[in-house]
Amino acid sequence: MYISSKKLKNICKHKGLKLGELLEKADVSKTAFYALVRKEDILPRSIRSIASALGESPSVFLEEESPEERKIKRLIKRMNAIVRRKPNLDRDNVWHTLLLLSERPVVRLRRGLTRGRKIDFH
Amino acid sequence: MIVGLSAAALQGAPVVTQDVDLWFEDIADAGIAKALKKMGGSYIPPTMLNPPLFAGGDVELFDIVLTMHGLDSFSVELKDSIEIKLGSCKVHVLPLERIIKSKETLLRPKDKLVLPVLKDALETIRANRKK
Repeated sequence: MYISSKKLKNICKHKGLKLGELLEKADVSKTAFYALVRKEDILPRSIRSIASALGESPSVFLEEESPEERKIKRLIKRMNAIVRRKPNLDRDNVWHTLLLLSERPVVRLRRGLTRGRKIDFH
Repeated sequence: MIVGLSAAALQGAPVVTQDVDLWFEDIADAGIAKALKKMGGSYIPPTMLNPPLFAGGDVELFDIVLTMHGLDSFSVELKDSIEIKLGSCKVHVLPLERIIKSKETLLRPKDKLVLPVLKDALETIRANRKK
């Protein structure tokens, strides 16, 4: 399993991104990226060995994280980094701010208004 | 210009609010009457006890603000406002720093409650920009 530069560039083009912009957004250095591209197989050897022992392709037992899971993990990582640098900040406030920053402004406003207006106790 | 907690929410602050505060330089601006007519709303002038209001289904969500405590004049604040795209139009939004300044000046009980959240949000936004 290897990285297809051609496929990646096509996806970037489709999303209106340049490769450099993608790497910056993904927080991946050019050195790290090109090192990966040069590899004939990006899977660890142990994964290959397990697949080989099973007589199957690694894709049979590898599962991809959902985009939502990836987003949450990325935000948790960022929250931890911010709180480490600024321990006076309340973790909840940092977390909710980061969550809202990942949304479009109109969604942020809608959430604030919905929560403020739909107080409906029964 | 959008001010208050809805302006803060637009910038990413995790706050709740009941309405959208709109700061007008001149409430007699012909554009306001035109927009109200388009939305089927109307303007209720101030009385002794009540501030000016918008009435009518789609505009009741908006509150009229004519003075922002602790800040410069409308035209000065407008220069440093943030432009945010909402639907098909861009709106001027008071920066979070200035919302905090205004609430620190007023310091009503409800401001005291929300200020720590606004300050944490501002620091988070700044830290997030730097990464």
